[in-house]
Amino acid sequence: MATLDELMQLPGAMAAFEFRGSGELLEQRIAYPERINESTLDLLAHMCAANMSIATMQARGWEKVTHMKGFYPIQEFTLVGFDWSVVVSGLDRERFKDRGKASLPPFTGVVLANEKADYEAAFATMEKPEPAP
Amino acid sequence: MSIVTDLLAKPGVIAAGEYAYRGDRFSYRGALSEEHARMASIMCRATTMGANMEGRMLEVFQPRNGLSPPRGWVVHGPDYTVCVMANVFCMLDNASGSINNTINFMAQALAKASSDLI
Repeated sequence: MATLDELMQLPGAMAAFEFRGSGELLEQRIAYPERINESTLDLLAHMCAANMSIATMQARGWEKVTHMKGFYPIQEFTLVGFDWSVVVSGLDRERFKDRGKASLPPFTGVVLANEKADYEAAFATMEKPEPAP
Repeated sequence: MSIVTDLLAKPGVIAAGEYAYRGDRFSYRGALSEEHARMASIMCRATTMGANMEGRMLEVFQPRNGLSPPRGWVVHGPDYTVCVMANVFCMLDNASGSINNTINFMAQALAKASSDLI
């Protein structure tokens, strides 16, 4: 699971955050407090939780209807805005589910400046497996 | 060439299409049936509308934030990725396509697309 500090090392990172499946912001790092604040991240976390749920529902339905595999489970949802993007991942939660764990870790998210954004690097950082215990 | 034709020529792109924001038309090319392409365009349109609603809400909350207006969204699955920018969608095979190149190409090609969703 990528730490918030690791996410803040991504090119163009403006903020990194963790949030519950229900959307509540749990923890955050903010590089430019004058441009993005905790209240904005809280609303953004709720939006991201909603979008992850909808995308998961759509991927599930799509696979059932089309018999195409490889869309579910959603690993990351990215919203590309005018100047910034936000990438959120729920992959760690899926890994916990696969291991039969009932208590799931939070979602992680990172806000990136579009001009420097490397989406594949963000996905790779978020998908990094947990170190073996 | 249209953006859909351009997208389909890129490595890993299995299908691409366009939809009308008002929901009455769509077109596509690639490895989808007509009915599945219709379903894809409806889902993409619904999510785009939702993302724009969220962007407006965020703009009221914090004016001039960099996420508003939204330009598109990406859903990354284990084997396939769906990229949507304005009213254009594209399905990409993760093993052979580049998500960065696809997003950047779509963002540039659709840079002047109106955010009015008309």
